[in-house]
Amino acid sequence: MNRPASDDRPVSRRDVLKASASAALATSVGPAWMSPADAQGRPPINFMTWSAAVDQVKSHISAFEAQSKLKVNYENAPGAQFRQTLVTKFVSGSPLDVMWVSDAWLPEFAEAKWLAPVDRYTELTRYNADLEKYCVDSMVYKGNQYGNVYYTDFMAFLYNEDMLKRAGIAAPPTTWEEVVEQSIRLKERKICEFPMLLSLQADVTWFIEFVSAMAFSFGGRFVDDAGKSVMQDPKGGVAAALRWIHEAIHTHKIVSPAATNTQEIAGLKAFGAGQHAFGIIPRYRIRPLNSPSESQVAGKVRIALMPKGGPNGQHATCGWVRFYGLSASAQRDAAKAADCVKLIEWFGGKALDAYRFQKMLILDLGLPYCTRPLDDDPDIARFYDTFAGGSTVVKRQASMARKKDVVATWFGEWNDANTQAWQKAILNQSTVAAALAESGRTWDRLRAAG
Amino acid sequence: MPHAKGVSAVTGTRGRRIGHDERVAYLLMAPVLIVLAIVAVFPIAHAFYTSLFDVVLTRPRTAPFVGISNYLALFDDPRFWVAVRRTTVYTIVSVIGTATLALVFALLLNEVFPGRRVLSIVLLLPWATPSIVNGLMWKWIYDPSFGSLNALLVQLGLIDQYQVWLADPDKTLYLVAQAAIWKQTPLAAILLLVTLKSIPDDLYRAARVDGANLLQRFLHVTLPGLRPGFMLVFVYETMISIRHFDLFAIMTQGGPGDATSTISWLTYTETFSSLRFGTGAALAFLLSMATFTLSYLMIRSFGRSR
Repeated sequence: MNRPASDDRPVSRRDVLKASASAALATSVGPAWMSPADAQGRPPINFMTWSAAVDQVKSHISAFEAQSKLKVNYENAPGAQFRQTLVTKFVSGSPLDVMWVSDAWLPEFAEAKWLAPVDRYTELTRYNADLEKYCVDSMVYKGNQYGNVYYTDFMAFLYNEDMLKRAGIAAPPTTWEEVVEQSIRLKERKICEFPMLLSLQADVTWFIEFVSAMAFSFGGRFVDDAGKSVMQDPKGGVAAALRWIHEAIHTHKIVSPAATNTQEIAGLKAFGAGQHAFGIIPRYRIRPLNSPSESQVAGKVRIALMPKGGPNGQHATCGWVRFYGLSASAQRDAAKAADCVKLIEWFGGKALDAYRFQKMLILDLGLPYCTRPLDDDPDIARFYDTFAGGSTVVKRQASMARKKDVVATWFGEWNDANTQAWQKAILNQSTVAAALAESGRTWDRLRAAG
Repeated sequence: MPHAKGVSAVTGTRGRRIGHDERVAYLLMAPVLIVLAIVAVFPIAHAFYTSLFDVVLTRPRTAPFVGISNYLALFDDPRFWVAVRRTTVYTIVSVIGTATLALVFALLLNEVFPGRRVLSIVLLLPWATPSIVNGLMWKWIYDPSFGSLNALLVQLGLIDQYQVWLADPDKTLYLVAQAAIWKQTPLAAILLLVTLKSIPDDLYRAARVDGANLLQRFLHVTLPGLRPGFMLVFVYETMISIRHFDLFAIMTQGGPGDATSTISWLTYTETFSSLRFGTGAALAFLLSMATFTLSYLMIRSFGRSR
């Protein structure tokens, strides 16, 4: 996207917002035939997202429309049913050109030929050089790249610094054993009843990511390099992670027995209300947790490296990428595809020669980016100083984030089945060994069925 | 359609001509029958048709005919039998709980006392509450951290620390059933109250003359007289309970574990989460048939015992 040659002044975020407002005003007061899309005779781009960052998306669309003279039909749907919404739209042939996609859905969407590879569009792939490698890897399936990054994040180990100080604890835990020790100390001093927060209600995406983060920190894997299940290994990290959760609830009583009925958002509110000292929480939540208007523990929440467990433990965690995908139906129309590529670049690449949307997302909402050049941005450095006490730990943890190893065409079906099995083990209705054996069998059966 | 006086049709068992009145009757019923066919018969028939194919939405280009394989796969799936057990327990608890409470309220409202009308209106409130609100309300009441149930029990000195309610797999199903009973009782109470009002006073007077005490009058006059009302309550509440979904979606999401995974919930996850429309349709069809069969058996049973 080229900037007008006459304008050498760097375009600020305010300029983009001004352009958005002007475009919105012109569209609202002008007659229909004056709309940019009609002026060019091009059909609008149908852009669908889940219901997040709505204000930011709308303002960035307005700026895009003003700049490109293209029209965008923006629609959003609840995140919990977003995958199903996309699938039904794809199956029914509803107009859908550009959409947010989770890395977990990529194999099934690509195999169904609903998503189009974007390798041929150098306007999009040229940004790969600025991205963390795992971000690019998360958008690649069978050698083809399927989009540009919307945001990336990982499960972070957050702690309440004030509670630890009150318990006389100088530093956050570095191992899961230390988490237990410090939690017991917090309980004994009656600082909180259940120091460790785990939100383990059967949920669309988070459950597997919570457990994956812990499993990776115990050095575990769900499947081997060939894709065969290894999660059921009784000496493996997955079993160790589930055993830790079980003991934390039933033996040490440092995790609430209501964990299996706690949604991620409910857990977040409890953490923000000062009910927990430690929590596995998506990193971007550190912004609301440290915002006085949204949290009672603002300024006290800090991030530590994911504790490691067992002999093979690492400070690893589970990371994920959400990206802008191009529908196969849009790609079949060359003119439409060209318009869509412009929109994807505007959001997932640079807009007016800068990573504006990525910067807006982190500053406004705390949504992290994959784009390394933004690491040097002074506004973002200030953001991390304000909301995370600096960016050193964040960057270290990001470098140790791993994508889920269970992403496959049958991921959704397997995830439904094993969530129940794991919850039963956590609740003493079954054993960890039995639950993982069932998960492994289900995985291998689905894998064999293709 | 019974023949009224002046029917112009020639009556006979075979090959008879349909008279004018019958034609009018069929014509008048036609709109209802057409609507029923569209909204009830067609979806069930289509669900059965879909259940004979391996329809997986994420495999859009292939949906082979598999006959009854989806049904056989379900019968072979332990999750299905768990769901059958959960549905059975939930239905029995909900229906009996609703009917019992409704009977108590109906008997109460059948008496004359000051404030009866106000009480009638208050009792209707749960029924007027939308299901979503009902589910959210009970979810909050049972919340282990800030729920009002824990607060109340602690203040009454009945417990010394907050309890986990919905996350306890031994309690969850009954707590969801309780939320359903709370919502369904008013309607059932009205149905029973209307039936109570229709029992002739002569029967009570005769019973008193025969020396029957209060309990005997209840057992031998009231309960038999309530049979039509009970039939309505049992059939309706069974149909509602066996297919209940909203409370599970809001309060428990089928969990913890599989503690509240009923047939309705399993149908939802198979269809809208796993996107396996073939097995989802098979489950939906089985649920429809179970509802139909149970309702039919109950109506026959009540009719016969009358």
